[in-house]
Amino acid sequence: MTMVATAMAGGSLAQYLIISGVLMSIGLAGFLTRRNLIVMFLCTELMFQGVVIAMVAFSRWHWEVSGQVFVIFILTVAAAEAALALALVVLLYRRRDTLDAEAWTELRE
Amino acid sequence: MIDRLWFLMPELIVLGGAVLCAILGVSRKVGVRNLLPVFAGWTLIIAGVVAWLFVYVPSTELAAVATEVPLPWLGRWVVIMSAVVGLMLVFVQAGLVDRVYEAAVAAGRVAFDPLRTTRGEYWVFFLLSVGGLMLTSGASDLVWLFLALELTSLPTYVMVAIGRVDRRSQEAGMKYFFLGALASAVFLYGFAMLYGATGTMSLVDIRTVLAEQVAETGSMNPLATIGLMVAVLGIAFKLAAAPLHLYAADVYEGAAAPVTAFLGFVPKAAGVIALMLLLSVTGWQEDGQLPQVLVILLWVMAVLTMTLGNIGALLQTRIKRMLAYSSIAHSGYLLIGILAGPGAGYTAVLIYLVAYGLSNTATFSVLAGLRRSGQEVEFLDDLAGLRERHPIMAWGMAISAGSLLGFPPLLGFWAKLLLFMAGIASGQLVLVIIAGVNSAISAWYYLKIMAIPLVGTPKSDAASIERVDVPGARFALVLISGALLVMPVALSDMIADAEAALREPDKMQTVDEDSGHAGGSAIKQEQPSLQS
Repeated sequence: MTMVATAMAGGSLAQYLIISGVLMSIGLAGFLTRRNLIVMFLCTELMFQGVVIAMVAFSRWHWEVSGQVFVIFILTVAAAEAALALALVVLLYRRRDTLDAEAWTELRE
Repeated sequence: MIDRLWFLMPELIVLGGAVLCAILGVSRKVGVRNLLPVFAGWTLIIAGVVAWLFVYVPSTELAAVATEVPLPWLGRWVVIMSAVVGLMLVFVQAGLVDRVYEAAVAAGRVAFDPLRTTRGEYWVFFLLSVGGLMLTSGASDLVWLFLALELTSLPTYVMVAIGRVDRRSQEAGMKYFFLGALASAVFLYGFAMLYGATGTMSLVDIRTVLAEQVAETGSMNPLATIGLMVAVLGIAFKLAAAPLHLYAADVYEGAAAPVTAFLGFVPKAAGVIALMLLLSVTGWQEDGQLPQVLVILLWVMAVLTMTLGNIGALLQTRIKRMLAYSSIAHSGYLLIGILAGPGAGYTAVLIYLVAYGLSNTATFSVLAGLRRSGQEVEFLDDLAGLRERHPIMAWGMAISAGSLLGFPPLLGFWAKLLLFMAGIASGQLVLVIIAGVNSAISAWYYLKIMAIPLVGTPKSDAASIERVDVPGARFALVLISGALLVMPVALSDMIADAEAALREPDKMQTVDEDSGHAGGSAIKQEQPSLQS
């Protein structure tokens, strides 16, 4: 464990995990409170980046590479999701001329 | 390395079919574009047959790979199930998805523009999503599980948005996408914690490491437990299980009926399979139970999901919202089987997935097959007296809703019975009683869905409801109704096959020489039998 601890020079595991948790929380809080579609999408991206930081920190801590491999895949999927999100946002904007999520209320109880 | 690709053959075939559809979908010849559903259907048939006859037969290669996967034989069941239900979905969707644009092209109102057609994309995304479901079953590590779940989900967002030209479908697509992205981030965070607790991505290795930690410290690693809980909550989105079930009614209502049939099965099945694989990392301890907190979490989720689903369905007058809430309730029932665990519980889950998938597809095929001045029928009362003008539709609706309710001779009844028996056998008596009460509540609205088309008095404008001009949905309805009536005869074979699909790798050596089927009955004697 000492060897692992020295490998973590430049910050402890806890610090990275706190940052990851903070990003996750900011993302979640923003997603639930903001109404702009693009900001909401950015918030989910923040949450993904929170996961990424946790993965890399754990990978470094365990001295094992598969966490970083996972990160590459997460980034790829996040890029695919971004493409999808922007296409949807453009589609919706053309319909309503607004990015406000609350303008879309045809489906409800 | 290359011989391992052999075990992905069904998924590779589906991928090939998707590429073919992408190319042919922009063809200027309308005949070629009309062939796309045929290609998609044949792709699924070939994938299913390959999985059935060639891939999952006992071999030394499979035995070598099998030790690296939690449930190595599960793929056989899942691929064949996806192919069969997927084929029914092809029938339901064929010719309905972009009918407005294609009709305009056929009438010469607009010139064909490859950029504006969505038929190719739709079938590509359909096949990719079904391929994602197939891949989920073979997951050996968290990366694979994540990618397979995303491959299942991402195409569905597009399918919802392009399924029909309507503001509501775009709103549904937006809601589905944003909540889906949120849910992926949540279960990924769970995966990260699981990785942090064990230092490995492989599900089998995680199980080993966790078992070592339990042996050392006497209890489950708290980080891993929290990670599993977070991951389960995130995956609840795919199942439309509480607390992430709220999107379901809106999205199911907003999407076109053929797309809704798809949403009711494929993402849900992928979520259930992912839960089965993910919970396998706990090793189910010696007494066959999950860690206490996970049991509580799943228990509460199951109760909330089925109760909220059934009560929500009771309050609806719109038929699609009613069926959406009913599909939420079915996720609650499926969670009972997940809680009951490997053996009887998982066997019941596999059979319930087939019964639910077929019945659900059939109910939506009725809605997909009927039109009123180009629009879908919205209210249950509009279907009153459907038997007089469209008897096949009315009877098919009655049989499939009866199967969803669990009406005795139908497949849905036996699946539900197996599920409840597995729940009782694992000591979840209270949960099964709650589920029984819920089934009684659900009888109220399912009986309405069954009776109103058959014996209701037609409304004055009932004559304006027409069948759509493509026969696919009716064809699927007749096939599924027949299957729901006939399949209970083969129930013991299905149970044997499901048990064979759930064999653990270390039990494989004893059955290597037998065929898959005989292997199932060999294993069956070791586990409490369900056939009574």
